[in-house]
Amino acid sequence: MFSVFEPEASSSGEPYVLTPEAPSFAFDPTDPWTETFQRGLEAANLSGKRIYEVGIGTGTNAAFLLQLCDAALVSGSDLDPRLIELAERNVRSLAPDKIDQFHPIKGAVSLIDTDAARAQIAQTDVVIGCLPQVGDPGDKRLSAFREAQAVELADGADEQADDHIAHYYPWEAFDSYPFNSVGLGLNEALLQRLREHAPKAEVIMNFGCRVGTGIIFELFEANGFRPEKLHSQIVRQDAGTDISFFVMLEKALTGTGLEKDFVCKFFKDAEGKQPISACEAQKLIDEDPETPLFHEVAVIRGIPAAS
Amino acid sequence: MKRSNANTIDCNGLSPAPTVLRIKQALTGRARDAHPLDILLDPACDTSSLARSLGKLADRVRLVARPA
Repeated sequence: MFSVFEPEASSSGEPYVLTPEAPSFAFDPTDPWTETFQRGLEAANLSGKRIYEVGIGTGTNAAFLLQLCDAALVSGSDLDPRLIELAERNVRSLAPDKIDQFHPIKGAVSLIDTDAARAQIAQTDVVIGCLPQVGDPGDKRLSAFREAQAVELADGADEQADDHIAHYYPWEAFDSYPFNSVGLGLNEALLQRLREHAPKAEVIMNFGCRVGTGIIFELFEANGFRPEKLHSQIVRQDAGTDISFFVMLEKALTGTGLEKDFVCKFFKDAEGKQPISACEAQKLIDEDPETPLFHEVAVIRGIPAAS
Repeated sequence: MKRSNANTIDCNGLSPAPTVLRIKQALTGRARDAHPLDILLDPACDTSSLARSLGKLADRVRLVARPA
């Protein structure tokens, strides 16, 4: 299966058309999250930089970085070993003149947890990634917490689509990280690894801001990075992604006096002018499953605070 | 290492609301008569205020203020 990704012309005025091979097990490169991320990467001035993408997917970002951001070198890895092979084919097809500047790390790599990945990261200027921020609906401990809040899983949410690991992460496995409490454990794990293995590298990450940008900024600061927002836009909530995760977070604060301190941020409109909580969003979905909902996606750069 | 052992939960960097979420998540499925969980709080978190937010659950944890 092939997809066509034809966003507007880049800010430099140069039109770009990427036509990556995109099988069902890969995150859809035509998803607006990808467009948002690439706008943020474009704003980051990555010319001449050595870049590593954690979770390289189809390789569409790698090709974009080489072809349109003038990156000096792009490397990357993925948990799904099929994707690194796919990314290599796509970069060869989409940026044929730059293939020598693409250094994929083969095999299944969780975050940067192989010797080859860590060796490459140590020679990297900027690490980028768009990692899942919702716990796997099938996670046992998360399910127990959901039941404790009397929140039901959406119909079909426990069925695994081909690209399941692009949307959800094994929540309990990352529970040693404090920000796992709001779905940011996997992202925090990456930040901590970078502090250890690439202390001078900047990081640029793409976030769905359903828990609010404030707490995402706190994640960066707690892990030694100064955050700045490079770009953001309002996108439609993926109809296939269960939002009960966010509902249970809000409900768990009932009666604590902290209800107003943590309210998830969805919108009723594509302009992002009518904010609603996760509980309110869930109510609308319960009334009509086709109700369009929206949320912010933001590209956030973290600069090592020590630099 | 954030959870230094099975009886300690690190909440460094978390403001009060996500701290309460983390504590409630940690207590889910845990025996009510188990030894109280040690909770290492962010220096900015107020222990008494957090205990009030936890209500009866506060009896099942030991809130430890991390030095600033």
